[in-house]
Amino acid sequence: MSEVKWQASGLKVHEASDVTESHLELQADVVVVGSGAGGAVAAYELARKGKKVIVLEAGPYVPSQDFTEKFTNSLETLYQDHGGQTNSSGDLLVLQGACVGGSTVVNGCVCFRTPDFILEDWQRDFGLDELTRDELAPYFDEVEKNLSVHDNGPHEIARHGWLIRAGANKLGWSVKPLKRNIRECGLTGHCLSGCKTERKQSMLVTYLPWAVAHGAKIYADTRVERILAEGGEATGVEAVITRHDGSQAATLRVTAPRVVLAAGAVQSPILLLKSGLANRSDMVGRNFACHPSLLVAARYPEPVHPWRGALLGVYVDEFEHPDKGGFVLEDGGFGLVEMSMLAEPGSGAPFMDYMANAKYLAGLVTLIHDHNVGRIEWDGEKKKIDYQLSDMDFPSMQRAIKAAARLHLASGATEVYVPASDKRVIRNEGDIDREVGGLENLPQHLRMVSYHPQGTCRMGADPEQSVVKANGETHDVRGLYVADASLLPTSIIVNPQITVYALATRIARHMA
Amino acid sequence: MKNNNRARMPGYLAGLEPLSRRGFLRTSVLAGAALSSGCSSLFGRREAPETLQYHSLTPDEVEVITRLTEVMLPAESYGLPSSTTVVPTVENIDMMAQRLPKQTRDLMGLGIWVFNNRPMVSFKFSKFTSLSDEKALAYVDAMQEGTFFERGLMTTLKALVALNYWRDERTWPGLEYHGPVTEMWGVRRLGNAPLPRA
Repeated sequence: MSEVKWQASGLKVHEASDVTESHLELQADVVVVGSGAGGAVAAYELARKGKKVIVLEAGPYVPSQDFTEKFTNSLETLYQDHGGQTNSSGDLLVLQGACVGGSTVVNGCVCFRTPDFILEDWQRDFGLDELTRDELAPYFDEVEKNLSVHDNGPHEIARHGWLIRAGANKLGWSVKPLKRNIRECGLTGHCLSGCKTERKQSMLVTYLPWAVAHGAKIYADTRVERILAEGGEATGVEAVITRHDGSQAATLRVTAPRVVLAAGAVQSPILLLKSGLANRSDMVGRNFACHPSLLVAARYPEPVHPWRGALLGVYVDEFEHPDKGGFVLEDGGFGLVEMSMLAEPGSGAPFMDYMANAKYLAGLVTLIHDHNVGRIEWDGEKKKIDYQLSDMDFPSMQRAIKAAARLHLASGATEVYVPASDKRVIRNEGDIDREVGGLENLPQHLRMVSYHPQGTCRMGADPEQSVVKANGETHDVRGLYVADASLLPTSIIVNPQITVYALATRIARHMA
Repeated sequence: MKNNNRARMPGYLAGLEPLSRRGFLRTSVLAGAALSSGCSSLFGRREAPETLQYHSLTPDEVEVITRLTEVMLPAESYGLPSSTTVVPTVENIDMMAQRLPKQTRDLMGLGIWVFNNRPMVSFKFSKFTSLSDEKALAYVDAMQEGTFFERGLMTTLKALVALNYWRDERTWPGLEYHGPVTEMWGVRRLGNAPLPRA
């Protein structure tokens, strides 16, 4: 095995600007498509077992010190479609990282293990008998240790978190500190723009440099266009390397007997569809779920400064189980740009009044256990995210908004802004049913954001009903694996990064 | 560009439902695009609005967006920099429009045109730019509470305006928003995490 060469900072990445030839031919034991939660973990686990690993990332390499802490700039440089990725009706913004490190670079650091009742659903409904709590526990233990996952300490709970905790206690609701993958949080509140001082334990500063230390090669600006297979076995990929001005720098072919697809739950199915692979079940791209979330803001009598301190501090799990509602509430900070778009306080003076009092606002993020009703499609030229909140899920969304409103009021808020396209303000308990009950499940009525797309290459025992086996290998193509949130057969209610890390670890260990 | 859009626009689009569902839905993607490319390069832009040229927006579009900015963001009343004479809100939108893909830019023009020409019976068929402050606000509110076509278009245009005002650093101190802090606070970098122990 070659010498391990760990780098104290930065990351050795081949970028478009490094390319001097119009075509590159590479060989590897494993080619990994995507450098986010699944790809980075798989790359490290395989590289440390002596495999020759190449990681291909469509997005750019942006070193931590180049992060600007300006959300609009970050959307442009770090997010898929420059932050403009939406569903086909334009009322759901689907935010995914599109840079080396993927969404782990721009997430809020929140860590949950897969809930037991979700694993039980997977065992019962998808034949994933081996994915038990006991089976996965060692993987969770390991990734949590590697990524410094810990309960938020008191100093990591910002003013808005303390308010929410007090309100939950008043209502008798279960409220807990969130776990986050962070070392010595700098409390800047700029998580969604990337952590400039490498405190967030994203893939950019953990598994990717560890993979490189074990010999893995990373190519940024490199979009895989096709997965190659012969005789039912994966043989590699074809890709295009693109300069930052949009011009093509080179084409690339990687020959490898194993391909790990980890481009995320939107891009991974598109790549399979473009390649015409692993779709005997016709399930590729189907079963899209995304935890459509809302940021319910409220005004308090005392300054909160929602941008100060750690972005996410505590959460309410009182309603987590589907039998009790099927949603969680997380206290969430935000900046001015997000604030200007998350509610409809009116225009002119009411809007200015709302914004001018920004420091008095606090937010609650709602996450619901949505059904897998969406679909990712590729029409030959462009992708389509076909997702509308289903009528089955709309009551859950309403319950989540109502609970958020109650919690804000119990926490001392004087006005709660329903995140709808029309002006809906709740000032007391009596307003809740009218303002939230009056919502309709129509396009452009709720201001939804998804940070957690999932489910589009789902795992299952039945090759007619699923794309991937429990070990991550596709049913149809030997040597072709999926290791991202596409795998998840159902939405998991909670933030999925730890689930993806654990599954990717398990998959890579099986591969090695 | 907008004139071309007008010329291509089928007659039925000038009626009460001037935007097709398909066209409208694509227009609504602008809400996302508003967060994207062109906007991001403008954070440092500080020129006085009168010194700037418009490169993408047509004079008619500038008039509509300027009027919307005036009625939507009466910032000076709140001790904040003017949204039209200090912060170059409309110029920021113009810069954003320059960097939009042609199809999206065309739809933006269509959306602005429809918005301006939408006021019907309740507003005596006047264009938005001809309405008084009071009527203009009433029109915006009516759109915001209208059909999903209307509220989607209104949400998009309001997002364009708000985003391109509050992205300017001069709007931050008045709200006690700190903006980037790492360098100001001297937060030290930690570098890469050490390799896990086997």
